[in-house]
Amino acid sequence: MSLPPKRFALGSQQSAETLELAAVKGRSLWDDARRRLVRNRAAMASIIVLGLLLLVAILGPLLAPFPYDQVNKTDTWAAPLQQGHVLGADALGRDLLSRIMVGLGVSLLVGVVATFVSLVIGVAWGATAGYIGGRVDELMMRIVDVLYSLPFIFFVILLMVVFGRNFILLFLAIGAVEWLTMARIVRGQTMSLKEKEFVEAARAAGVSGFGIVARHIVPNLLGPVVVYITLTIPGVILAESFLSFLGLGVQPPMASLGTLVSYGASYMELTPWLLIFPAITMVVTLMCFNFIGDGLRDAIDPKDR
Amino acid sequence: MLRFLLRRLAIAVPTLFLVVTLSFFMMRLAPGNPFQGDRKLTPEIEKAVNAKYGLDKPLAVQYVKYLGDVIHGDFGPSLKYRDKTVVEIIGQGLPKSLTLGGCALLLGTVLGMAMGTAAALRQNRGADYLATTVAIVGVCIPTFVTAPVLVLIFGSRLGWLPIAGWGNGAPRYLILPVIVMALPLVAIIARLTRAGMIEVLRSNYVRTARAKGLSESAIVLRHALRGAVLPLVSFLGPASAGMMTGSLIVEQVFNLPGLGKNFVMSASQRDYTLVMGVVILYATLILVMNLVADMIYALLDPRVKLS
Amino acid sequence: MRGTGLRNLLLLLVAGLALSGCEGRVIPTCPAGKLCLHAGNGTDPGTLDPAKSQLVTEDNILSDLLVGLVTDDADGKGVPGMAESWTTSPDGLTWTFKLRDATWSDGVPVTAEDFVFTLRRLVDPKTAAEYAYFAFPIKNGTEANAGKAPLESLGVRAVDPKTLEITLVHPTAYLPQILKHMVTYPVPAHVVKKWGDAWSRPEHYVSNGPFTLSYWRLGDRIRLVKNPRFYDARNVCLDEVYYYPTTDTISAERRVRRDELDIADGIAASRVPYLRQPDQIPTYVRSAPYMGVYYLAFNTHVAGLENKDVRTALSMTIDRDFIASKLIRAEKNAAYGFVPPGVTDYPGGARVFYADWSFEKRKAYARDLLAKAGYGPQRPLKLELKTASTGTAEPSALVAAVQSDWRSIGVQTSIIQEDGQVFFSDMNVRNFQVGMAGWIADYDDATTFLALLKSDTGAQNYGDYKNPAYDALLAQADVTVDPKARGALMVRAEQIALDDVGVAPVYFAFSRNLVNPAITGWNDNIMDHHRMRWVCFKDAAARRARSQG
Repeated sequence: MSLPPKRFALGSQQSAETLELAAVKGRSLWDDARRRLVRNRAAMASIIVLGLLLLVAILGPLLAPFPYDQVNKTDTWAAPLQQGHVLGADALGRDLLSRIMVGLGVSLLVGVVATFVSLVIGVAWGATAGYIGGRVDELMMRIVDVLYSLPFIFFVILLMVVFGRNFILLFLAIGAVEWLTMARIVRGQTMSLKEKEFVEAARAAGVSGFGIVARHIVPNLLGPVVVYITLTIPGVILAESFLSFLGLGVQPPMASLGTLVSYGASYMELTPWLLIFPAITMVVTLMCFNFIGDGLRDAIDPKDR
Repeated sequence: MLRFLLRRLAIAVPTLFLVVTLSFFMMRLAPGNPFQGDRKLTPEIEKAVNAKYGLDKPLAVQYVKYLGDVIHGDFGPSLKYRDKTVVEIIGQGLPKSLTLGGCALLLGTVLGMAMGTAAALRQNRGADYLATTVAIVGVCIPTFVTAPVLVLIFGSRLGWLPIAGWGNGAPRYLILPVIVMALPLVAIIARLTRAGMIEVLRSNYVRTARAKGLSESAIVLRHALRGAVLPLVSFLGPASAGMMTGSLIVEQVFNLPGLGKNFVMSASQRDYTLVMGVVILYATLILVMNLVADMIYALLDPRVKLS
Repeated sequence: MRGTGLRNLLLLLVAGLALSGCEGRVIPTCPAGKLCLHAGNGTDPGTLDPAKSQLVTEDNILSDLLVGLVTDDADGKGVPGMAESWTTSPDGLTWTFKLRDATWSDGVPVTAEDFVFTLRRLVDPKTAAEYAYFAFPIKNGTEANAGKAPLESLGVRAVDPKTLEITLVHPTAYLPQILKHMVTYPVPAHVVKKWGDAWSRPEHYVSNGPFTLSYWRLGDRIRLVKNPRFYDARNVCLDEVYYYPTTDTISAERRVRRDELDIADGIAASRVPYLRQPDQIPTYVRSAPYMGVYYLAFNTHVAGLENKDVRTALSMTIDRDFIASKLIRAEKNAAYGFVPPGVTDYPGGARVFYADWSFEKRKAYARDLLAKAGYGPQRPLKLELKTASTGTAEPSALVAAVQSDWRSIGVQTSIIQEDGQVFFSDMNVRNFQVGMAGWIADYDDATTFLALLKSDTGAQNYGDYKNPAYDALLAQADVTVDPKARGALMVRAEQIALDDVGVAPVYFAFSRNLVNPAITGWNDNIMDHHRMRWVCFKDAAARRARSQG
């Protein structure tokens, strides 16, 4: 057994060790996995709730009672249910419900895009290193080591400073940091997979190295990768909220759950609704991802019956 | 063992060198400089300031000089806290951050393992869901919310605890900040423990132990916990480096003299020398803690060989 | 076992909390029998060397340690400090200061030579003082700082140990203001010569003011102890002053409520109305006009913004009353002029012409102006509004409010919030269209504001506003000795800048502090200067008795 991947990105609450043990044995197992997942009540409830939240986020602009950036000068600091603001309004009289809907969408988008970036880089990097092995592997993982040794926040601040406060770049910056863990997990998996019989068989049949990685290795990484994704998304959303706290989040008047929560936190005793509602939305969203992640891991892990 | 250590050291040196190089140039290429604020300096004054702090030379020359100084243990004066040297700032802050981070690590690990164990032993039952939910909530609420909320409840409303200040390290001053720092950790550790434990409890040797009639508590203590500790070790290695270098939010809310704020403030204020100091410290800690984690890992799991 | 571990642990934790419970209230450190004051002070100072200082938080501490030729009274007005008295030559160019008998905290007398040393050190390029320009009104100050003249040629001379003579480039009515600014505070020549830059460390620090520096740990606290050798020591009431960095102002506010801090500075504007409620701490809240202005700078190199009508339309459509009353929670601080009210020797009165119009009328007028400039629904004006990002909520809300106002006259604004350093870089090289800027006065004189808009100001005139008439009036004011005539000239200049919309002022700054009502000698003033030598407690004797060390 090789040493397991060691380090964890800011938000990943998942042991790489257990991910690694969750090796996928073949496609037939997916049916079992689905059955086990359906039986997991917390995970199923989370899927439903998350689906609803997703729907709200997508339809947000249509459903929202007000445009999210509409300043209502007579409604400043409106309490919930006052002046037509179901969840109240902020210092500029902007409707909190509408802003939460938009913010939820932004946060989910940040989470998904950043995770996708980390996934693409991480899988490509890890699979290549793991499959080729030897000197190349050594070099590639050394680069990962170096990047790991840089403090996350320092890295992100510099990325944002250099590339500016662009919405897309915000995702890229976060994704560009989160891929390191992914690369380590994938590399470990690949190294054990490449010794397996079906890879040997493909190699004997003359499939090229790239073909083997693309057709045989990567699909078999799906299990741990899916689990990792469900745990990285909430991590990214939290990281974004920390950036918002530092004033480095999305550009005003746009909102994300992070900007809303950090804004609300500074008015905690005065206008508690500005903290409570965005915080609940954020916690529920993150909890859903976590429960689904747990459920998936339990479901995919064949030893766990 | 010695060969293993030497080999790791041989890798650590170039890694650190690359970290220093990368951070040095990234920091310098960022727009702005430490002397720029809402008052724009006249060109003459700007020139004098740059000359005084050695920023007037070509970047490559500054880089070589910096490397030379660092090798001799000279990290220079901070460019923002000009009465203090970088070594002094880190020397004053690190012990405080170590105390806070160490306590939080301990609390987080103990609580997390207890919760994780409880959840694993009652998988998919009430206690499991409760523990898992508590754990997940702990990790889902940002620190900048938990810190002021706890201060409000325990400090201001109930008046049980001091709400800010180092208080010369008196334990009661540290309770709230330590709890805030430990909360996310509890969550992660509880889940790692639960997963690791469930796995061990299903293994053949536990079945054997059960068949031999060992008491449930003996099984848990002797076998299951040990299995659950393994993933924790590889998690805690790098995580402890983060904990021991402090947290901006905790230091701000509780007015504590730690290192955490420097990671954010020195980067955003372009305090070049202080940034480099904390980056080098962090990278070194990461390397050391990973080494320690690997060694503990090998000690606990005979299947792993140090190579 | 079976999960009892968890329960036990929780019980233990609760027990621990309960045990420590009774100790929750904290009595701040203070040696037995002494009178101490604990003050929150924003951020840690970067330095306590006056020549290198720049921050307000540094000024607060430095002013308790060192006393300049002129110093602040309890109301922030200039009164004689190290100088007992001074005279000015009829042309206003030569000032002669008579020094009082005083010593440094190590017993060495303070002499005119110390001041010569201090001012030369300030302009010396080797010192690299950011505020060296404070000495530029002094003869050869600019030249010496640029290395073009020897330091000895600076117009400062010790006539005898107790007489100092300063020669100026032009009559500078506000010289006393400069001489009570921290960068001109005297430094002990004998100590600086011995220790060099390290003189300002606590172990070497020697001061001439009411307190001495005893201890400083970053992120923790700074301790000042009464200086028995201070010339007015018998009137200094406090024995010790502690300054704490309080980055998180809400946390500082809670500490004030618990009597752990006696003073907290920089309370968020949005909390002021809340704290003033009867069931909160209304008697603690101290808010007063402060010498600063927040404004939008228009980059006149940008197509569209070079047009005065467009700038007028944009400026008049900022709903300053809404911003002042709802956002920054200080109705009276909406800025319809550029120089804040209350500046010494400045009559004021310059205002934008639409100051009394209703907002609806302004919008209609602005739409016409834009139409005249060729902008309308077919060809909307598109702008970028840049601002520095901070961790606080108000600045983001402010630019969002401006964006919304401008939308109502058909202007499409995108907000770009940048890292502070990037923002200032961009402003300095004119990489912006409209920028949110602020200016806090260095000293109590209108020039500190008006000089921002002179065409030869350079980078700090962000929008490169230029009007020869404006420049001429200020140049004339520079050589005018009579304060009345000088003030009138400057008001005329301000009116020109407002009519040209060189900038769009938004609101005037105001100070927000929490001060324990038992404190005396802490008076509201426009500089927000509160020197601890004047401060005391009503219940000083009781407090002394309570201190246990």
